[in-house]
Amino acid sequence: MKQELIKLIDLSRCTACRGCQVACKQWNELPASETHNFGSYQNPPDLEWNTWTLIRFQEYVDAQGRLQWLFRKDGCMHCTDAGCVKVCPTQALFHTEFGTVALNTDKCIGCKLCIFACPFNVPRFDEETKKISKCDLCQSRLQAGQPPACVLSCPTGALQIGAKDAMLAAAHRRVRELGGDASVYGEQFVEGTHVVYVLPEKAEVFEKLPAKPEIPTSIMVWKDILKPAGLLAAGTVVAGAFLHYITHGPKNPEEEINQEGGTQI
Amino acid sequence: MNKVMIKATGPFERIVHWCLAISCLILCASGMVMMYHSLQGFGTLVGGMAAVKTIHNYSGVFFAVSLFLALLVWWKEAGMFSSPEDWQWFKVAGGYLWKVDQMPEIGKYNPGQKLFFLTIVIFGTGMVVSGFFMWFPLGYEPGLIRFMYVLHALGFVIIFAFFWVHLYLVTLGAPGSASAMFTGWVSKGWARTQHPKWLREMEEKGTLVVYGKKGQSGRHC
Repeated sequence: MKQELIKLIDLSRCTACRGCQVACKQWNELPASETHNFGSYQNPPDLEWNTWTLIRFQEYVDAQGRLQWLFRKDGCMHCTDAGCVKVCPTQALFHTEFGTVALNTDKCIGCKLCIFACPFNVPRFDEETKKISKCDLCQSRLQAGQPPACVLSCPTGALQIGAKDAMLAAAHRRVRELGGDASVYGEQFVEGTHVVYVLPEKAEVFEKLPAKPEIPTSIMVWKDILKPAGLLAAGTVVAGAFLHYITHGPKNPEEEINQEGGTQI
Repeated sequence: MNKVMIKATGPFERIVHWCLAISCLILCASGMVMMYHSLQGFGTLVGGMAAVKTIHNYSGVFFAVSLFLALLVWWKEAGMFSSPEDWQWFKVAGGYLWKVDQMPEIGKYNPGQKLFFLTIVIFGTGMVVSGFFMWFPLGYEPGLIRFMYVLHALGFVIIFAFFWVHLYLVTLGAPGSASAMFTGWVSKGWARTQHPKWLREMEEKGTLVVYGKKGQSGRHC
């Protein structure tokens, strides 16, 4: 691994200008979708195959009855223990030298397994290309030593990218500054995400943000137990059959001599 | 060949068996190429992993149809256990594990075969249903789809293991069996050893067809 990077999203500094959303589309050549007004500035309403990052707008009334307008930049969290990488049958989804999770679309067969293995509900299916689509943290830019498009576009410093330790230290520093219910979100889950939030409120407060993200148990049962069990069971049977043959031997029929003229062979 | 050969299966039965077998083998092979990363190289043989997925999906349809036909063909004979001989057969492990003096009187299908048939029916249906959801997963509860993944993997573990049992018995374990699914004829001695009740019943009813015997047609379904 070259250097493990973390993108830090300090939501206390986010003004929801959506510059990151536009910069992402521009750099990754993702077209806009025709959407409709559903009574929120949030647009499009959810992540899409062509919207890898999205500012979620949320009206939240806290315990003291104060109305707050919360913004959250949603997108791939680039897990270390990534459910999508775990289930991908063709290794189209893979960990990069930066610890992030990128996608080789040439290898993607559109099986959609990753959609259901992701604890953050991130991967989207493109009906036209029949392939999965998601943020790769601007892998081409990282390789060129450039920050991702979203980070570059951010006017308030809510987005930063840097070495893992430095970013985590900055995140904790900021949380101490903010006090109250502020917390660092990401390093404690799925062996550490490579996108880390500074949340100004408790994680539970934010819509569509799992309080305890983890790879679903069913996915673990499938990949960690049943997958090896398939080979183990078959191997046991083959070994058992061999053992049976050399100890007990086959069950030979008691051939009768053909009364109509045949003989036992 | 001087053994007395008797008719065991009809052509339709054999066709259904091989449709089921071939689709099952294609599904196992293509499924494993997608399940185990080290087998990915085999995907190149058919033009890449996307082709493997396509083959897997459509073989699944072929399998589903074959399974339905298999159900029609064998349900009556292999779908239900008969008392008491089937239970006695289990008690002596079919005579496969230790020396048995008196083998229970077994009909056309022994309980092991019945168990195999029921396993294929139950887990095969599970594979068809879960496979359908895996093919078209969008729009359903994620928990449901994830359950289907587990079911599909479990079905594979069971069916793949059973396949080897089936293969061993029909080749090395119980010689003389395989011809039932190739030519349709088995030796009378084999039938007497493996399925005495079936042989006796056919003799009593006069439905036994012996190869080359005059006055009897060699065809029946």
